[in-house]
Amino acid sequence: MQNNMIKISNLEKIYRTEEVETIALNKMNMEVKEGEFVAVMGPSGCGKSTLLNILGLLDDPNGGSFLFNGEEIAHYNERQRANLRKRTIGFVFQSFNLIDELTVFENVELPLIYTGVKASERKERVEAALDKMQIMHRRNHYPQQLSGGQQQRVAVARAVVNQPKLILADEPTGNLDSSNGNEVMALLTDLNDAGTTIVMVTHSEHDAKYAHRIIRMLDGQTVTESILREQL
Amino acid sequence: MFQNYFKSAWRSLWKNKSTSIINIVGLSVGMTAAVLIFIWVQNEMSYDNYNKDAANIYRLTTNLKTEGWIWETTPLLLADAVKKEVPEIEKIARLYSGDMPVFNINNNLSYEKNCAFVDDDWFNIFHYDFIEGNAASFANDINSIILTASEATKYFGSANNAMGKIIHADSLNYVVKAIVKDAPVNSSFQYSAFIPLQNLLRNADRKSNDENWDNANYITFIKVQPTVNISALTKKITNVLQLRSGDTEKQSSISLEDLKDMHFETDLQSSFFASGNKNTVYIFSVLGILLLIIACVNYVNLTTAKASLRAKEVSVRKMVGAGRMQLFNQFLSEAFLVSIIALAITLLLVKLCLPAFNTITDKHFSLSLLSASLWKVVGITLLSAFVLNSIYPAMVLSSFKPLHVFRGFTVLKLKDNYLRKGLVTLQFTFSVMLIAGTIIIYKQMQFIQQTNPGYNRSQVLMTHVPPNVDFSKKDQLVNVIKQELLAQSSIQNVSLTNQPILNIGSYSTGAADWAGRDTTFNPKIAQLSVDADYANTMQLQMNEGRWFEKNNESDKNNVILNETAVKELNIPKPYIGQRFTWKGKKGQIIGIVKDFKYKSLHDKTGPLVVFQNPAWANLFMIKVAPGNAQQAVNALQKIWKQILPGNPLEYNFLDDSFNQLYKADRQTSSLILIFAVIAIIVSCLGLFGLAAFAAEQRTKEIGIRKVLGATVANITTLISKDFVKLVCIAIVIATPLSLLAMNKWIQSFAYRIKMSWWIFVVAGLIALLIALITVSFQSIKAAIANPVESLRSE
Repeated sequence: MQNNMIKISNLEKIYRTEEVETIALNKMNMEVKEGEFVAVMGPSGCGKSTLLNILGLLDDPNGGSFLFNGEEIAHYNERQRANLRKRTIGFVFQSFNLIDELTVFENVELPLIYTGVKASERKERVEAALDKMQIMHRRNHYPQQLSGGQQQRVAVARAVVNQPKLILADEPTGNLDSSNGNEVMALLTDLNDAGTTIVMVTHSEHDAKYAHRIIRMLDGQTVTESILREQL
Repeated sequence: MFQNYFKSAWRSLWKNKSTSIINIVGLSVGMTAAVLIFIWVQNEMSYDNYNKDAANIYRLTTNLKTEGWIWETTPLLLADAVKKEVPEIEKIARLYSGDMPVFNINNNLSYEKNCAFVDDDWFNIFHYDFIEGNAASFANDINSIILTASEATKYFGSANNAMGKIIHADSLNYVVKAIVKDAPVNSSFQYSAFIPLQNLLRNADRKSNDENWDNANYITFIKVQPTVNISALTKKITNVLQLRSGDTEKQSSISLEDLKDMHFETDLQSSFFASGNKNTVYIFSVLGILLLIIACVNYVNLTTAKASLRAKEVSVRKMVGAGRMQLFNQFLSEAFLVSIIALAITLLLVKLCLPAFNTITDKHFSLSLLSASLWKVVGITLLSAFVLNSIYPAMVLSSFKPLHVFRGFTVLKLKDNYLRKGLVTLQFTFSVMLIAGTIIIYKQMQFIQQTNPGYNRSQVLMTHVPPNVDFSKKDQLVNVIKQELLAQSSIQNVSLTNQPILNIGSYSTGAADWAGRDTTFNPKIAQLSVDADYANTMQLQMNEGRWFEKNNESDKNNVILNETAVKELNIPKPYIGQRFTWKGKKGQIIGIVKDFKYKSLHDKTGPLVVFQNPAWANLFMIKVAPGNAQQAVNALQKIWKQILPGNPLEYNFLDDSFNQLYKADRQTSSLILIFAVIAIIVSCLGLFGLAAFAAEQRTKEIGIRKVLGATVANITTLISKDFVKLVCIAIVIATPLSLLAMNKWIQSFAYRIKMSWWIFVVAGLIALLIALITVSFQSIKAAIANPVESLRSE
């Protein structure tokens, strides 16, 4: 039996503007085990992305509890969140979010710079990650010189270069054609097989089938959970 | 890490070329202006500080209790007396710089205008860099002379060449014993030749005159031990003066003035040294800071305006682990990079502008990259620009919440927008103030040129009677010259006077008496000695009575008053024929001359007595026939050489002296004009960038509006409106501020223009027009773009 990597209970997130109050997460509960691959689905505006952002320590909840590896982190300040984030979490986005001014190599190198890895080691690790994603030959190109599939492979390389325990993927195939999409899903599955926990938000039933478990959300809450296959 | 920062910074600059160019050009121009101003300010504030012992050097000034006067000079004998009686004084040296000896070098005659007669210890009190020779050889020989390097080069081709050479001056031979480096720009002592003071006193007349305790003709400096109690020392020196001069009523006293404070001394009756004005220094410091701020505003505005374009990058960096501090440092690096590039351009611009700046300020600054003081100025400017540029944008940019970016929220808060508008308004407020200032100064300068001074200053040549002419033969000599000059067809008239008409600095108190005078009424009256030809030469107008007549014996005692004198002295009617005693001579008032401006327009025309005293005839006023200036000069040169072969001829035109009179005002006006232009250019650069950005951001909106039927004019108005509003606010703020500031300036003129409301309207309109042209360029470009293109790009 694996440990819970993530356990959220009664998690709330409310967005307020001058006139409107939007409840994005309404006392949400959820658990993710170490090494698990979870897909989160639901209609637009149901709170998927908010959930992912809180899980990714990019945003803080308004209430409830968030245990990460057994430690309560709901009250963490920005610096603490940034520290935890850069050591343990990698992100993959629908729109890739590569920095246009940096080359492929430099984009992937970035997380290592911020965690203070030495230059010689950086080079080794970045090259290993690029090789794994089969994008090594493009290392000196800029993102806008790559196809969508290639860009997403770079983004995945960047997400894994720090060897994070958790990868959060937000519609990772949303901007890709089906063959490129399948390739990226295969990459994520490989990573998961190697032990990385993955939480993926998706609209695609096809992609969701790669996961161990699907959580369906509506109005900021979990409505159903279905187990597709057992975690090894 | 930093390598990465600079790499990203460089690429980001490269990617946003137009913004980068605006930022760097604006910053360089602003920094150049600031550096030039600060070089000047630093120079003013550090006067005479280059002397190692500056803190222990003092000038002795003489205070006269009854008159309330402070003289920078002291009696000749004071130095000798205190040297003996006051042991606290380490070194003492006197300076006399009132003579211009005529140097004869290989039969080339010239006045040495910056000649100082000094005691030996002068070179032990003040710092001099000896290139050749030393101070001791100067002290050992009364006939020695020290030249500065540039003066030695002027006379002998090079410093080396000058050593040991003989300079013949006023019947004496001086040997060049040493060469010193030229005085630094921030020295009060801009002398180019030094002669032992003892040499001056060889002249028996001068010696007996100056060894009188009542005559204070020498500037005395002392150097003391750092531990000396200055107030006790002051008392001691005063005691010596009072005792030796027999001043039992203690009417005179001595003050010690710190060498470092000398440049800004304002209480003196007059001074041989160029004095500074602290107000001007403050005003220009503020100007320098404001110009720098204006330049930095562009960077802050454009960087924060374009922040949304950087938001994605910031968010991505945050997600992959960048802390706020790391991002902050990254944007600091960017600002630093921009500042450093701007600095390199600034140094180049400063180098290019320095000759012109030297001309305007009448200084001789040089750009030496080894000079510590230059780097101090440049360093402070760079640091200020960097701090102003970096902190706020870096804070804004590093504070983005990554989520908001991806969710499409506006990344900038409302207050950032207000701040940006506020900064643009600030820039234009300052620009409008400078434009208004420029107009007012220009109008006043025009007023000065056009005001009828009451005499005709065109085509008048002036030359001094040489100071070394034998006094007993002077009368006859000047008359011979006058007759020779009058014989020339190129010369219409010649007259002799004591002072140039446009700036009479000669006054008398208690020398006048007239019918009905209250015996306690002793006003200060300006005095002008003339001859019978003066009124015609200068084309003065008479109000009533007549001018002096040739060969009229009684006119030797008679006087002419100006209109103000009649009023202020309360002369009883009828004015003509009233008894008037002037300097002991009993005569009559024979005429009232119409008031003419015998001072600059800064000063009100006061009472003036015009009289005849041939002993005071020191200045030829030569009226040239129209179109004959060159012939007149040639004739003057020929006559001079013939009659006064031992004296070089130095002449100038009254018109030039008139311009010289307003030199400081013209300096100010040129500088303000230049700074106004810089402020406007830099502000408009920023506006140009902001307008471009606004147009770019609203491409889609403009496209939709055009599809719905908006005209080019509609769109142009739409984009320009926001900016025009800001400029209008700036005009409203700037008007009272410039009114206040310029009122202060114009108060320094006794005769001045009225500051009409239209000046401020024009200043506002100029700023508005320039801003409008700047903005229109971008908005029209956006307005005429094909909407199909802009909508497709979305």
